[in-house]
Amino acid sequence: MHNALLDRPAWYVVGAFLGLIVIAAFALLNERVGVVGGFSDFVERATGRRPALGWKAWFAIGIVGGALVFRLLAGGATVGHGHHFSWLTRALGSGGGLAAGAILLVAGVLIGFGAKTASGCTSGNGLGGCSAGSPASFVATGTFMAVAIAVSFLLRAVT
Amino acid sequence: MNRVRLASVVLGGGFGFILSWAHFVDPDQIRRMLLFQEPYMWEMFAVAVGVGFVGLRVMRRLGLRSLLTGEPVRWSVAKPQRRHLVGATIFGVGWAVSDVCPGPVAAQLGQGVIWSLPLLAGIGIGIALYFRREQAPGPRTKRAARRRPASAAAPVALPASNPD
Repeated sequence: MHNALLDRPAWYVVGAFLGLIVIAAFALLNERVGVVGGFSDFVERATGRRPALGWKAWFAIGIVGGALVFRLLAGGATVGHGHHFSWLTRALGSGGGLAAGAILLVAGVLIGFGAKTASGCTSGNGLGGCSAGSPASFVATGTFMAVAIAVSFLLRAVT
Repeated sequence: MNRVRLASVVLGGGFGFILSWAHFVDPDQIRRMLLFQEPYMWEMFAVAVGVGFVGLRVMRRLGLRSLLTGEPVRWSVAKPQRRHLVGATIFGVGWAVSDVCPGPVAAQLGQGVIWSLPLLAGIGIGIALYFRREQAPGPRTKRAARRRPASAAAPVALPASNPD
């Protein structure tokens, strides 16, 4: 069980499951999946903009729970190798934890602000919006992917 | 817990489990994707969108109704606007620097990854800044308000926060 979960399944299996979740969200709730909308629900609830959490907040809570169940069943996390989280923590070295945390915080601000402005993230625009055939989601998805690819190559060149 | 909340948690649970199993939560995998070092994530994404695209149209063609709301399965689409380009550009920079997006951040939290905490805090701040900016009158609105008497000032129309 442990090994089966720590090895990635075939891409078409995972892709089909994710597509089925998009379909199930419509079949059950008539809603488009999205995660930044769930985080937004928490912010709106905390700032008094909404009286109760919306379904996307519960969806986000479910993601946390699903990943916890996965970790318990798999016996380990599927994130990070050794003490490192990503290229960033490797580039900054063992003494750069605080700087890495600060950079991740700023990256998070860009992700939250950008995704809200574009009305969706990789899930909301990429999966939900593109599955729905929304031209705005196709444009947003193409844009954030192109920008992320360009910035990744730039970062690799300068680090 | 009502049925909608329960269904949302179950759907999210499946999503978090699959993201974890596919290693979509691992920043190194996302970096390899963005640097075209392996096709796995691109292939997975294409299949997910393909299955969703076909499945939604089949449901709509069959006239199916949502199980919990009873509404016919349907959706609206939006035309691209400047904000989609601007927002996606900002999002893309944050995604490339962190190699993590909102779904995987939540899954990392579930897996007990401590690095998800600054990302989560940042996303919360970013969303709060979005609402702050949304409420603030823009330069044109300020100029127009100065030209108009106070009694004639119309309320600023806010864009829908999540039409997609």
